[in-house]
Amino acid sequence: MANDTKAVHVSMEPEVAHNISATVEGQDISVYDDVRALHDVVQGLPSHVMKDLLSIGVCARCIFRLFGIRGNIYSCSFLSSSMLSSVLGEQRHADEDMVDIGSEEHKNPISLPASEVSEVDAVLCTLCLGILQFTYCDDKELVVKKSAKDMAVAISELLRREWHQIDSFSLEVSIPPIVLENESSVWLYMKRKYGSELCFQGKLLSQRISTVEALILCLAKPLETLLDCKSGASDIRICLTFTHSKALKMVHSVAVSKHGCKRTKTGIENCIDSIDDSVVGDIECSDLAGVTIQRSFGGSQDNGSSQSLKFPPEKVEACHLVFLCYRNPIFFGGRYLKYSRNVSQTRWIIDDERKGEASVEEIVGGIILPMCQGDNYKFHAAGREDIDVRMLGSGRPFLVEIQNARHIPSEAFVKEIETKINNLENKLVEVKNLKAVGSQGWDLMREGEAEKQKQYAALVWISRPLKDEDLESIASFKDMKVLQRTPIRVLHRRSPLEREKIIHWMKIEKIAGSNHYFLLHLCTQAGTYIKEFVHGDLGRTHPSVGSLLGCRAEILQLDVTDVKMDCF
Amino acid sequence: MKDYSVDDTDKLDSSVQNNPAPQQQQQHEGDGLHRLLVPDARDLPLIPPSAVESNFVSYFAPDFIKPGHDQYVYRHANGLCVIGLAPTHVAFKDSGGITAVDFNVGRSDRSVLKVTGKRKKNAQQFEPNTALCKVCTNDDSYIVRCCVKGSLLEVNDRLIKLPGLLNSSADREGYVAIIMPKPADWLKAKGLLLGLEEYKKLRDC
Repeated sequence: MANDTKAVHVSMEPEVAHNISATVEGQDISVYDDVRALHDVVQGLPSHVMKDLLSIGVCARCIFRLFGIRGNIYSCSFLSSSMLSSVLGEQRHADEDMVDIGSEEHKNPISLPASEVSEVDAVLCTLCLGILQFTYCDDKELVVKKSAKDMAVAISELLRREWHQIDSFSLEVSIPPIVLENESSVWLYMKRKYGSELCFQGKLLSQRISTVEALILCLAKPLETLLDCKSGASDIRICLTFTHSKALKMVHSVAVSKHGCKRTKTGIENCIDSIDDSVVGDIECSDLAGVTIQRSFGGSQDNGSSQSLKFPPEKVEACHLVFLCYRNPIFFGGRYLKYSRNVSQTRWIIDDERKGEASVEEIVGGIILPMCQGDNYKFHAAGREDIDVRMLGSGRPFLVEIQNARHIPSEAFVKEIETKINNLENKLVEVKNLKAVGSQGWDLMREGEAEKQKQYAALVWISRPLKDEDLESIASFKDMKVLQRTPIRVLHRRSPLEREKIIHWMKIEKIAGSNHYFLLHLCTQAGTYIKEFVHGDLGRTHPSVGSLLGCRAEILQLDVTDVKMDCF
Repeated sequence: MKDYSVDDTDKLDSSVQNNPAPQQQQQHEGDGLHRLLVPDARDLPLIPPSAVESNFVSYFAPDFIKPGHDQYVYRHANGLCVIGLAPTHVAFKDSGGITAVDFNVGRSDRSVLKVTGKRKKNAQQFEPNTALCKVCTNDDSYIVRCCVKGSLLEVNDRLIKLPGLLNSSADREGYVAIIMPKPADWLKAKGLLLGLEEYKKLRDC
């Protein structure tokens, strides 16, 4: 492996050096500015520390970020280790006032990189494992080396393929925990060696720029240019997930920094975001600092832990990178009516057989999904009714969540969706007030769901003729309490409990031509089992319609006539 | 009315096919709704099937352990079994009918069991011949047994205060207990039970 990379290095340099000089000659001022900026940064930092870090394999960007350097320096395309070496070499010579290099360079202190400098690092950084060198393992297990710009191009191409409406994006990066481990190791090494020096006084690891933030600094601007929109908080998320084969074998102690977990805007990390010098252990308070020192240097005490925790490691493997682009789910709210007694609310399949002929979920979701060009949908409703119970009146509030919608429908388009559902041939389901809602739709639905009242119409038969007094007596009960033991029909899957429910009011409506049948209108507390209230469930619901009328009562049909909720 | 039934009789719902066009006014909506709700009396059966008839399959255990001890097992589609006294049980022949019910039989008082949770923890496992309760008449007392091997979920403790329920409606409010058998145990038990028609024939009723 080492041999291969060296060969690449050798073949690249003349080409790269040629490119850099060519662009400068071609009046590309930005490169010149970048070189100047690099010199400025380098001047402000202790060169002996930087050289030491370079010697243990830490890349240029990691060095800068450990010192808490901010700004555009990270996105300089030629910020390689050899470039930094070269600049350091020049500066030392300038400082020591020696004329070692050719007269040309001596005349102009801010000079072009020497010919043995390459833009792309040959060797993987021992700290960030190549992440900040845009080097990673792709899904074909090939190690890919890019520049920041190339990486941005790859990402934008992925996005463009599927997403046509992008007006913003959020860039998120996830890195493997071992990088943080490495950071901690390097920091301790630095502290140990240079802690007493002036340049190190008062410095904290927490002041460093995280790998995540640095990578985002490199990629955000080129992506903004390529996609012609701003990056920041957005519904469209670009996720770069780096993973490493060497899992962290030691105990994870959860260190909480004063910044907590507020970094979600710019990045997410696999584990802890920042580690303070004072490690606050959580689970098993393994002293992260202590353990690292033992293992990294000298290795006199081998704790039997894996080789991966030695720093610097003998062999550095690149990380595996997965790009993922997705959009936050979008929501549609409305109310549905169900006219059929053979349609369930949600998909209901037992032993490969469907119960009923369709479901509200599939009818509604099945139309909204393709019109948004989404990946899949989730259906949520405020309560539910049995398959053989119709949902009439104002309808039941529901929410449809669409994942990864490629197309956000306009208000007019949403109306079209509603019309399409309502004009289906079989007229099993109707939708009202359909509109796009934000994620607050959830709260609207869940709010007080348990307190809401429901209104029903039940077709009841009694074993004796109906009397006029019955209408009066039934109507007289207001806010009547009933005790319901868990109905036998659901007892196999619900806890055996006795639940007290309230029947707010009842009204009997006579049916012409029958004195044993009548329509019972009633309004009850959410969660009341209506069927059991009518037939009594072998006496386990008490009182029941039968017990109130002193005879046997059976229910033939049930319809929900109103779900009293304010939403949609 | 069937639980979760697949409705093959459309008669009662003929009004559904003529779905009224969406109306703007509340009043019109109310009318439209009302039209959907009210059935045509001519479509209604004289006596509808009872909840038990619609949702359970009835089985019978004649002469269970002892002659004359006829019991029923109503099995729900979800597997639960309701156990009770069949109308031909010898206890009903005693004058005065059933006067008392005692759940304190066997090793424990069945009426104080506490089954909790979806998984029905603490439910006692009963064998088919395990005693559920003792019913007493003026003349004698009779043991009512499980008939099916399974977990005892519930006993009808209302029978303690109202033993008369057995006399008036042993097939409904006078049920004795609810058992949850495992599928394999149910199949075994089923083989020893009679269906409704067979039972009627046997007992000439």
